[in-house]
Amino acid sequence: MQQTGGYPIDTSQLLKGVLDLAVLAVLADHDSYGYDVLRRLRDSGLDGVGDASVYGTLRRLYQAGSLNSYVVPSEEGPHRKYYGLNDRGRSALDQSTKTWGSFTRALDHLLNGRSSANAK
Amino acid sequence: MPNSQQANDVANYAAAVRSALASLPEAERASLLEDLENHLAEVAGESDLSLQERLGQPEDYAAELRSAYSSGRNTPNVKRRWPTRERSWALVKAAFGTQVYSELRALLPELLPGWWVLRAYLVVLVLAFMFRGDRNLRPIPNPFSSAGLLQILATLIAIFISVRLGRRGMPANRGWRGAALAVNVAVAVLALPVLVSMGTAGSYAYLDAGTSDPYFPSVSAGYYPGLTNIYPYSKEGKALNDVLLYDQNGRPLIADRGDVVTDVPTGADGLPIPNAYPLKQRDSSGLPVLPPRVALPPWPTGTPAASPTPTPKP
Repeated sequence: MQQTGGYPIDTSQLLKGVLDLAVLAVLADHDSYGYDVLRRLRDSGLDGVGDASVYGTLRRLYQAGSLNSYVVPSEEGPHRKYYGLNDRGRSALDQSTKTWGSFTRALDHLLNGRSSANAK
Repeated sequence: MPNSQQANDVANYAAAVRSALASLPEAERASLLEDLENHLAEVAGESDLSLQERLGQPEDYAAELRSAYSSGRNTPNVKRRWPTRERSWALVKAAFGTQVYSELRALLPELLPGWWVLRAYLVVLVLAFMFRGDRNLRPIPNPFSSAGLLQILATLIAIFISVRLGRRGMPANRGWRGAALAVNVAVAVLALPVLVSMGTAGSYAYLDAGTSDPYFPSVSAGYYPGLTNIYPYSKEGKALNDVLLYDQNGRPLIADRGDVVTDVPTGADGLPIPNAYPLKQRDSSGLPVLPPRVALPPWPTGTPAASPTPTPKP
């Protein structure tokens, strides 16, 4: 993997760290299947997210016991495997939301401090 | 793209992804790819472009899958020594989901009465350990000694109380239930060191932690349960004193002290010498225990046994 010394932020790297949180947040809204999760993530602005990443993340979260899963037959297409949050998933979401909140607050604080220092 | 062609595309792409992930452990791969075909069919149904045009090379897709699946934060190809938290959860989940676990769980209520009896026994054992010191604690106390008899009686009473308590069921109050659970766990934990100190060799080995040499394992072998002393004699019939005896492992041979009081000599290094026979013993009223009369076997005459072991000729 390449070092990104002084280059602009690589959003795909950022995404890697928060994809779990994003997927959990999408599923907290309502249960959903893989391709739909991807579509909703992209619709909400995370358009750099890869199909395989979403699929792999769903499978991992399911394996880790954070998601329920059930199959819904679909009339025109293939059967769809729906995923939804269970208790563990919800508590993971709460936990990660807090972590994310304090992380962004800290970074905002840093960035704001820098910009106000520049303004002087 | 017509449907059959799409299905072909999905099958080919999925096969390529599968083979690119061939190095994953089989169970992991199966779990990851369980839904792959359906998922790819969903993607393919969205547009007329081929999967390769939409998702890139199957190998890249596989690498991304693997990276997302094996945690998303860590480098995928490195085998970690410890399972990640997610994987541990999966393992725990798998263990709890098995048939064996559910059968064991169903068995638990039937095993409860066994625990009620066992915990009573353990409580008395721990108390005996604390009040009598650690001398001669055995799995089953000697019913012919007053302390042993007392211990057996106490155990029976404790079993009676414990079973009555157990049959009453867990208290409804949450706090009390926690306390009851804590007491049960405490009994099990406290009993552990006592059980360990008893040794594992059953009634054929006796522990005498008070006097045995700390350099050796604390247990010695005795072929005769209840053997309290050994009286060695020379070939000529002379009673020998302070003969040091060892078992086949080089451990000091220590007799069962029973209810007699043994005066163990102390070596120049201040450590007791527990295996110098015959042991000097006094009975419970303080009188010395006298050596028994023995019938010494007559040695055959005319054998060269009196000479030392013949040296083999080269």
